[in-house]
Amino acid sequence: MERPLQEDAARLNGLVRAVGQSADRAAFTQLFDHFAPRVKGYLMRLGASAAVAEDLAQDVMLTLWRKAVQFDPAKASASTWVFTIARNLRIDAIRKERRPELDADDPTLAPVHERSSDENLDWAKAEERLRRALVRLPREQARVIELSFLADKPHSAIAAELGLPLGTVKSRIRLAMAQLRNALGERS
Amino acid sequence: MTITHHPGDELLLSYALGASSEPVSLLIAAHLSFCATCRAAVRDMEAGGGALLSDIEPAALNPHALQSVLARLDEEKPEPVRPAAVAGDVPPVLRAYVGNEFAKAHWLKVAPGLAHLPLLSQDGTKARLIRAQPGAVVSTHSHRGEEWTLVLTGSYRDETGTYRPGDVQSTTPEIFHRPVADNGPVCINLAVTDAPLVFKDLLPSIIGKLFGF
Repeated sequence: MERPLQEDAARLNGLVRAVGQSADRAAFTQLFDHFAPRVKGYLMRLGASAAVAEDLAQDVMLTLWRKAVQFDPAKASASTWVFTIARNLRIDAIRKERRPELDADDPTLAPVHERSSDENLDWAKAEERLRRALVRLPREQARVIELSFLADKPHSAIAAELGLPLGTVKSRIRLAMAQLRNALGERS
Repeated sequence: MTITHHPGDELLLSYALGASSEPVSLLIAAHLSFCATCRAAVRDMEAGGGALLSDIEPAALNPHALQSVLARLDEEKPEPVRPAAVAGDVPPVLRAYVGNEFAKAHWLKVAPGLAHLPLLSQDGTKARLIRAQPGAVVSTHSHRGEEWTLVLTGSYRDETGTYRPGDVQSTTPEIFHRPVADNGPVCINLAVTDAPLVFKDLLPSIIGKLFGF
């Protein structure tokens, strides 16, 4: 599978900012070419029909256009940001549910004490480290993470699907998350 | 404020990746409004979602998709500015379900010193608020499925410990407990119960084994 490099993550961040700052249609077209087929692929892997996935992928891109001005590369890479848009639109459109979510700018939120160095974290680089760490995960841990990403199910159902006790699934998630956090923690 | 009881990675991951049901998502989002540590964890998990999205097998769009989206861009209105926050003691993430003030919600009395407020129910998973006056006791009980309780105000204790604002207590069917509200501010909790019946239709034998039925 195609594996874009870290520079691609930085390039995508720049394109989203160009859309946010100057409604740049050429930048939007490049973002569409990159993200729309991935979002459609993601939605289809989650069980959406090709027609529904197509419509939703287009809606995700329209949302990207509308919200690009809010994109902050200090908080997430472009890919992560698009992932959260797709996740939320899918919950809304397919599951017909609301997505309870925090307002990150809410002043009443308890301040972040841990990893305050995040403010300086380059999420484009972090994403590449994370992808390498995902590839290095032991197979059984990677499977649980993948299923969490690609199955619209609670972990009890994932445990059932894998024929494992729920406790085993939980401990694999904990081990995998510890390794992924380590990868994010390697500041460069 | 020190939070000692967290929801755990598997619930945070379900929330971050969009797999948890609305009642569970509500509990997690409300916990996050108290807990910076879990907020950072969810952000990391979302970054994992972004990395997985980068690597996913793309599915080609309709050949005219780009043209049709470009044609619609001009109709797109900018995002409305968020209204200024209204005063109230309910955490903002719960306001769409509860209102702005706990005191104005439509509480239903269930026992002396105890009231509840159903918020939503979905495929057998239910979210509700429970309000316990100081000293109020919930009789010894167990649960048919899993239950998660997030303390919003006040505190309570049971056989397993003391739970304060932001703490999440997870209980499984084998746990019998008798929670008692502490003296001090009234104790308001968000409780989410996950009834096993929902899973029985899908995966009767395995879930039955998991939950000890």
